[in-house]
Amino acid sequence: MATQPASIERAARPARLPRAAVPGWRREQQRSFALGLIPALLVLAAITLGPTIYLVVTSLTPLDPVHPHSATDFSDPAGNYRALIADMRFLNSLWVQMKLSAATVAAQLAIGLGVALLLNAGSRFLEAVRTAFILPMVLPPIVVAVVWKVIFTPDVSPVHRMLAAIGLPVHSLIADPAMALWAIAVADTWEWFPFTMLMALAALQMIPGEPIDAARIDGAGRLALFRYILFPYLRPTLVVAGLFRLIDSIKAFPLIYVLTNGGPGTATEVTNYYAFVESFNFSYWGYGSAIATLMVAGVLLLSWIIGHLGQGAERDE
Amino acid sequence: MNSERMVVHGAAALLLVVVLFPALWMLQLSFRAGGDIFDLSFVFTPTLDNYRVLWTGLFPGSFGNSVVVSLAATALSLLFGVPAAYALSRCRFKARRSIALWILATRMAPPVAFTIPFFLAYRFLGLIDSLAGLVVIYLTFNLALVVWLMRNFFDGVPRALEEAAWIDGCGVWSGFRLIALPLAAPGLAATGVLCFILSWNDFFYALILTRTKAMTAPVAIVNFMQYEGWEWGKIAAGGTLVMLPVVVFSTLVRRYLVGGLTAGGVKE
Repeated sequence: MATQPASIERAARPARLPRAAVPGWRREQQRSFALGLIPALLVLAAITLGPTIYLVVTSLTPLDPVHPHSATDFSDPAGNYRALIADMRFLNSLWVQMKLSAATVAAQLAIGLGVALLLNAGSRFLEAVRTAFILPMVLPPIVVAVVWKVIFTPDVSPVHRMLAAIGLPVHSLIADPAMALWAIAVADTWEWFPFTMLMALAALQMIPGEPIDAARIDGAGRLALFRYILFPYLRPTLVVAGLFRLIDSIKAFPLIYVLTNGGPGTATEVTNYYAFVESFNFSYWGYGSAIATLMVAGVLLLSWIIGHLGQGAERDE
Repeated sequence: MNSERMVVHGAAALLLVVVLFPALWMLQLSFRAGGDIFDLSFVFTPTLDNYRVLWTGLFPGSFGNSVVVSLAATALSLLFGVPAAYALSRCRFKARRSIALWILATRMAPPVAFTIPFFLAYRFLGLIDSLAGLVVIYLTFNLALVVWLMRNFFDGVPRALEEAAWIDGCGVWSGFRLIALPLAAPGLAATGVLCFILSWNDFFYALILTRTKAMTAPVAIVNFMQYEGWEWGKIAAGGTLVMLPVVVFSTLVRRYLVGGLTAGGVKE
């Protein structure tokens, strides 16, 4: 923030207005703007930057409630990280996370794009349907979890009842180690396909009409139109939407907490969930902080990629 | 062409039913009497029993906590965020881009990373299980969102009006109060509603930072499952009540909702 006053000076507008010509007024104006900005930045720093630094510091200690003085024990700063590399449960959580993220991001992109293409026409009915489809992503995540707990619990599930009625009784998916993760993926896809749909719709509406008309006149079929005209326009948006979903998939919590509690065994224990278990079920705060620090690093890397992609797109324009 | 339109509309309608079915199923479950829960037929006598049971228990307290915390978090983030957004919109700071990135980063950060330090600090400060503690941690996601969204709304208000006011001797912040803010009022309302929804929807922070006194409604629902056995009717009724404000509010601001939900993703 130390560079701010200089930058305000540099970026001030050319003195066109009578009052702006008076140096005192311009300085006063800059002071006013800084006054509006600084409280928010201070609060934001205190509640985001401060905790993040504290998190990284804690990750260098073996802090737990049994040894309260270990908060400042930096005798083995890399200890937690060394333990993590050898922690099979942590490595398993990374693998589970990768499977869940890959499945949900791919499904959400495919379904979101498909639904967007279906609903892209301008009619009142389709507009209403588009609005209704936003519902899953605005619902409280805990409600989404309850909704799917009902669907996946054979006792009360309409789906299980219907399958049983036609002679196809299916056992509970969320109790099956081989299926539980995919059951969560289904629920997560339901919750978040509207996001990729919205992004795809926004991109579709910005595609100019001429190339589409030209391709139609040249006899392009529906598939060719999509492959050669629409998809190239949509690709940058889909990449960004996919990265956003990828980042959010790393934070998945309520669904897993309610549907499987990380189980059966550790079949659905993603890294975020493992960090939660270590920190708040076992109270290994130092160890949990190390996991969370690695997650932050991963998320920052992905965010940097998004920022970079954005810049690339701006340069292309 | 007309038949194609009919096929598209038909497919959309079918899809709508399929997509909304799981949520509607929970809704109807909440109106079933205890004995009817395991009945598959669609015909049943609706009853408000589940809601009545809910309303005589501890649930109203948790619901009230949710309302208070969400309102307070919304008010605080608007108080700090709106002036900052205005300053960012009107004054071309060089730090503008890095501030935008910082804001994006707070939206991306995994909640567990904030939770551990906040939990440790709150234990020390005695803020565990307090409404104030929740309000503060909700600022971590709300404040950034307010700055991000309101800056866009202020960018849409022409500067010329304020410049005219400045010439007439109006100060920067009276110009903000008298001109820019009223013109950005719809955006302000939408941003406020979005903050409310995000705070209302939080489960993770409330699960870890509250026990009984400050418990919010989403955590209360989970407690029905874990500690009170599987009373599906009660769980469904609780879920419906928690869902209700969100559905009402998002209908009210649906026009602005899309921008808020995809904040940072779609370039304006």
